[in-house]
Amino acid sequence: MDRTSVKIVVAGGFGTGKTTLVGSVSEIAPLTTEEILTQESVGVDDTIGVEGKVQTTVALDFGRITISQDVVLYLYGTPGQDRYWFMWDALAQGAVGAIVLVDTRRLETSFAAVDYFERRGIPFVAAVNQFFGKRDYSEREIREALELDADVPLVWCDARDRESSKLGLIALVRYAMSLLDGRRLSHNSAPY
Amino acid sequence: MASDAPGGRDEAVAGRFVPLYVLVNGRTSPQDSNLDLATQVIALPADRRRLESEYLNVLDRCGNWISVAELGAYLHLPLTVTKVMVGVLAEQGYLGMGAAAQQIVIDLRLLGSVLAGLERL
Repeated sequence: MDRTSVKIVVAGGFGTGKTTLVGSVSEIAPLTTEEILTQESVGVDDTIGVEGKVQTTVALDFGRITISQDVVLYLYGTPGQDRYWFMWDALAQGAVGAIVLVDTRRLETSFAAVDYFERRGIPFVAAVNQFFGKRDYSEREIREALELDADVPLVWCDARDRESSKLGLIALVRYAMSLLDGRRLSHNSAPY
Repeated sequence: MASDAPGGRDEAVAGRFVPLYVLVNGRTSPQDSNLDLATQVIALPADRRRLESEYLNVLDRCGNWISVAELGAYLHLPLTVTKVMVGVLAEQGYLGMGAAAQQIVIDLRLLGSVLAGLERL
């Protein structure tokens, strides 16, 4: 059946505006779905000696944009805590790419996300969320702090603003296309 | 665990009489591993008389194409359970499935149409 779902992951540290961005461009109010996880608990803090299974509920926010009759784009916000890596895997599998939201007041909260997509070769753009409309740092400073590769796009955005969030998504899709195109061209020019 | 007392939170919230693990026969993953949270499904014409109400609730939401994640959100079911239930319904011919997201070849044409769609927004 011809009904294609395309995924884009919206990542970044806790409180960087992931759900806000999803909500500003989604055609539906962001939905939340939950995954119940059973994990082996490792004796930590007050549960020392009480090792066993622990149930955690991880909430996942997502939105939808209908692209055409057969293509629907889903935007998934990653769970706030970085320790749910395996959830990220499920989200990232088959995704077009990711928007990594960055809060300049807490750059370090986005390191893990940058690292995650870099290691897996998943296209991503860094989107600096300007909650307060001011730029405390230059693009170069942010790139250096995040150790971004030169070709990874960095965009300035306001996650609350639909147009701005849309431009972030467009930057990502363009970048993903350029990578695909680059791969194709380099194949074609390979010596035989 | 204290929260797992009989009639715990899940049952109380959903007014559910059958524990979720019974509904899905204790399965923890769908047989069709291609089922992704973004996979879209649609109800197919079929005789539903033998279905339990929980499954009917799923089908009722599938009059139009809908993703697994959306179903989970609307029906307040955890994703794993939603996936297994959708898998069961698909196996039995109640649901048709769209392409699995992780199997889609992301090609320039597809990306081009996504780009055009976003620019139209």
